[in-house]
Amino acid sequence: MKMLNIKIVIIILIIIIIQANRAISQFITGTVYEITNDQKKSSLPGANVFWINTTIGVSTDDKGNFKITKKNINDFRLVVSFLGYMNDTIKVNKDDTKLDIQLFTENKQIGEINIKENNGSYISKINPRQVQVITTTELYKAACCNLSESFETNASVDVSYSDAVSGAKQIQLLGLSGVYSQIQTENIPSVRGLASSFGLNYIPGSWMESIQIAKGTASVINGYESTTGQINVEYKKPANSEHLFVNLYANSNQRLEANILSAVKLTDKLSTMVMLHGDDFRNKFDRNHDSFMDQPKVTQYNIFNRWDYINNGKMVSRFGIKYLEEKRIGGMMNYDKNTFVLDTAAIRQATQNYGIEINTKRTEVFWKNGIMFPGKPYQSLGLILSGVNHEQTGNYGINIYDAKEKSMYANLIFQSIIVNTNHKYSVGLSYILDDYKENYIQTIFNYSGFTVTGNTIYNNNFNRQESVPGVFAEYTFNYMEKFTVIAGLRADYHNIYGAFLTPRLHLRYYINESTIIRASVGKGYRTANVIAENLSILASQRKLVFLETTKQEQAWNYGINMTKEFKLFNRKAEFDIDIYRTDFVNQVIVDMDSLTTEVFVYNLKGKSYSNCYQVQFTFEPVKSLTVLLAYRINDVKTTINNQLREKPFVNNYKGLVTLSYATKFDKWKFDITGQFNGTARLPEQKKMPVSLRRATKTPEYFILNAQITKKFKYYDIYLGGENLTNFTQNDPITQWQRPFHKHFDTSMVWGPIVGRVIYGGIRLTIK
Amino acid sequence: MKKVFSLFMPVLFIILMNNCTYAQKKNKEEIKIKTSAVCSMCKDRIEQNLAFEKGISDVSLDVSSKIVTVKYNSKKTNPDKIRLAISKIGYDADEVPADKVAYGKLPACCKKDAPKH
Repeated sequence: MKMLNIKIVIIILIIIIIQANRAISQFITGTVYEITNDQKKSSLPGANVFWINTTIGVSTDDKGNFKITKKNINDFRLVVSFLGYMNDTIKVNKDDTKLDIQLFTENKQIGEINIKENNGSYISKINPRQVQVITTTELYKAACCNLSESFETNASVDVSYSDAVSGAKQIQLLGLSGVYSQIQTENIPSVRGLASSFGLNYIPGSWMESIQIAKGTASVINGYESTTGQINVEYKKPANSEHLFVNLYANSNQRLEANILSAVKLTDKLSTMVMLHGDDFRNKFDRNHDSFMDQPKVTQYNIFNRWDYINNGKMVSRFGIKYLEEKRIGGMMNYDKNTFVLDTAAIRQATQNYGIEINTKRTEVFWKNGIMFPGKPYQSLGLILSGVNHEQTGNYGINIYDAKEKSMYANLIFQSIIVNTNHKYSVGLSYILDDYKENYIQTIFNYSGFTVTGNTIYNNNFNRQESVPGVFAEYTFNYMEKFTVIAGLRADYHNIYGAFLTPRLHLRYYINESTIIRASVGKGYRTANVIAENLSILASQRKLVFLETTKQEQAWNYGINMTKEFKLFNRKAEFDIDIYRTDFVNQVIVDMDSLTTEVFVYNLKGKSYSNCYQVQFTFEPVKSLTVLLAYRINDVKTTINNQLREKPFVNNYKGLVTLSYATKFDKWKFDITGQFNGTARLPEQKKMPVSLRRATKTPEYFILNAQITKKFKYYDIYLGGENLTNFTQNDPITQWQRPFHKHFDTSMVWGPIVGRVIYGGIRLTIK
Repeated sequence: MKKVFSLFMPVLFIILMNNCTYAQKKNKEEIKIKTSAVCSMCKDRIEQNLAFEKGISDVSLDVSSKIVTVKYNSKKTNPDKIRLAISKIGYDADEVPADKVAYGKLPACCKKDAPKH
């Protein structure tokens, strides 16, 4: 008995040992391969193989073989990833020891983001940078006529009004003017230079396929300019666009707009597209009774022809040419340029009329090329070339501003890997040539009471040529898809400001499947185009005074954010929080505080910063009803005249509520957007005559927009309203009675000038 | 704030109305049609296109069985018209073969003889 017992014990022990041994030596071995075009098996060295939600993983060797442990694994799903191929998740049986895995190439261009049409707006999970993508679905929630109106349903970007006469709208990102963010079209610098003021109006809403908004400094590949963020617009592409797309729009102020887009696929590889945009607004109205038009008359023609040559897996070439003409006429209701005569007696009697006219002609050309290497889907060579010619003439009252810009941009990028796709890099060369010729002739009248006693003419010439060659390198380290680091550095040599370095670092960490943390730090630089960026100065009688030569603007930007997904009401919900700080090393200060009759331009002496804290919460309380709640605090301070104070015209908070409801198949869509705007400081009023003095702060206000869309087989009809509560700023112009007097100022605009607008339109699609 | 909420109310009303009216439709019939759909892209294409055909209120395709369930108003359309509509999207519908021109325009992965994926 005893012996038997011992035998049994020994047998059991042996079994246990064997089992334990088996458990320890439990490995899966296998190969990762692809099937090449000629139907041959080709192994993939350097592919990542790891267990889902763990850090246990390996890379395949030079023959594509891998060996991975099964020890301590509960979730037997194996993730296989390789740059240029689609990720694959394979469910493995516990007892499997051998596994061959086939990967499929991704049919997309490097650097392009795959867009799913159903999602209106989302924060990219794959991107190590915080990138929010706005798709056409989101753009269709409001009848955005152009890029400046595309951010109504977005919590990160504010749209501000620059002055009361020209109709220019400007954006703010992280509480700072849009000029500190890099605005690109298809990764080509776009809204910059002379286009800073009206450039957002040059990109029609119907032409856009998607917008990507990245907060914080962006990749060094795209240059040194993005300080607070990067906004990239992708136009519609000929290869996947409708044969014909027509959008007609009209609103209650008689603004008419038409867009016609037509795409043709000429061969399997070659396709072309023509986009036309016409905009006409010639209805003068003055509802706030200040004798000035509430909105300028605008006529715009915009034409874009693009060609795409796509040879899958080998080469992509995109060429485009865009031409725009725009005419703006604003000012007093009775202003007519042809009959305008300057009469000092009329100035005294306050009967002299005032008007502005801006004429713009702009041509843009681009040519983008990407070469892929067969059998090396992780490697590519890209060349971007673009050019801009911008001519602008105009008058603001009797002040004349004419400007010309010629810009050239070239960027050569090579992307590849080191050993395996865990280590990717990009290196390249870039060149920017900017040629500006600006001429501003300002006439300042001398007064005794209201009688004109004389005048002084100031002739300001700003001619500047910038030539900036640069080199850059960016390294991306990926650890099991859980942790990513992107380190970038670029060195540029500026013909005026000399050599400078731009370091940037981005981190992403998946805490678990539903939580991502990202952090970024980086430096940004830019040259200020004082007049072009502050056209509102021209629409006032403030004297423009440059106290010193402006230096290059420099700032550091730091950011951290978290995205968490979870279930609420049994449906997907998402919570995002982000904090960004921008710290200026140098900034060009446009000081409207020191004096009410002058604007001083000088370099920052002291601190200037912006802190932004934002939370955003998206959920679906009822099926098909999406609710977005967002809140942001802006703390933006600048040293103006040796005093650190709040930057004027920056709201201290912003709240956003959007409700979207769609019936099945999106047959009906209802969208409501509410924007809560906090108070903002207005430029110093103490030196103003009491009768013209404004409050020191703007009131808080609320804006409500709504739209209904009905979808049919070939067309959509939409009907909507903007500013439904009819909120307006009733005193947009200071001293409107005497537009030639020293206190006349149209730049004190903080809210809408036009009240409720009802609009409607139709979108017709023929596939 | 009160004003704001009063403006949001109509929307909630519309949502509720919509949910109720679905249940009240008359002449409502249902039909199951066997198609040649192979993947989720086919499912999207068939559902999105069919949903906007006259008289059709709901479409749902099951990829594994290739059967599409269509709810329709019998006064506005009939099973033959629905099958013809499916054919024009590029898919077989029971005994009606796929329209050749439409079938030719389908991406490679959505064609009948595409390998399973």
